[in-house]
Amino acid sequence: MKAILQRVLALAAVAIVVTGCATPTPPPHNDYTAFRQADPRSVLVVPVVSRSVDVDAPDYFLSTISQPIAERGYYVFPVNLIKRVMEDDGLGDANLVHGSATPKLAELFGADAVLYVVIERWDSKYAVISTTTTVELSYSLRNGKTGDELWKHSETMAYDPAGGQNGLLAKAIVAAFEKAKPNYIPLAKSVNGLSVARVGRGLPAGPYDAKYKTDQQQY
Amino acid sequence: MKRIAIAAVAVLLTACATAPQSKYDWGSYEQSLYQYYKTPAEMNALVASLDMTIIHAERSKHVVPPGLYAEYGYLLLQQGKAQDAIVYFNAEKAKWPESATLMNRMIKMAEVKIIGEVRQ
Repeated sequence: MKAILQRVLALAAVAIVVTGCATPTPPPHNDYTAFRQADPRSVLVVPVVSRSVDVDAPDYFLSTISQPIAERGYYVFPVNLIKRVMEDDGLGDANLVHGSATPKLAELFGADAVLYVVIERWDSKYAVISTTTTVELSYSLRNGKTGDELWKHSETMAYDPAGGQNGLLAKAIVAAFEKAKPNYIPLAKSVNGLSVARVGRGLPAGPYDAKYKTDQQQY
Repeated sequence: MKRIAIAAVAVLLTACATAPQSKYDWGSYEQSLYQYYKTPAEMNALVASLDMTIIHAERSKHVVPPGLYAEYGYLLLQQGKAQDAIVYFNAEKAKWPESATLMNRMIKMAEVKIIGEVRQ
């Protein structure tokens, strides 16, 4: 009896392994026709338009956007250098930049594609023991030569800095600490990271990624 | 049989966790850049952080992430070290050809600064 039970357990475990990770039918991915045709190698991130009253939101965004795009295999122009040089060139106003022609801007820096991001929402609801911050960002990547849109995405996320903690006391301590000096780098990192890297929805592998031009099944 | 079961479960536990491996070593780039935006007076902290990340990557024969040589060079330029800045702008251009247009422009900017200093 014991032997049979063991055998059943073993089979069940194997069955879990077989089915556990497999996604039966991959969800239909975005249309990447224009993206594949443009085949951009480099991405220029221009000043972000923010509709939030939170003055820190654009800084959180800018600090965490380079890494995920570079890890997808693209050259990302140095965001701080670009920010300062654009300010010196009279292009520091995000609304103005978002409203002007892409090719001219791309040519100025030699960029294949330009990323325009709008922070639609970034607000915090304070409660007794925790704070929930909800953010919504929309992304638009445009062809540096034609200005045509290559990729479009919108991401919404709610974040509770105390979420991972157990027990009320721990939560209270974290909330007090976060209220004093909130750090939303992890949140900004997640939003940018998920937007760029989600299979079928994010950016296809770029020229510095091993899967470059071989990921048509996913993208 | 029991061993197979345990092995299978172990495989299950590890197989699904396929976090994509990082191509580059970013050091504390994100946090340091954010801190710099909050307290621009403490530019030296960002300079030191970038310097450390670059040295660390080069020593361990890793690729320095795109943009980092250029960010570092630009801060040096702001600190009046135009000659050093050019070295890093050239490093960015050599590693990442996509940056050539921008880096040529930055090198010119640094050269103008050097000439200006000589004239004074």
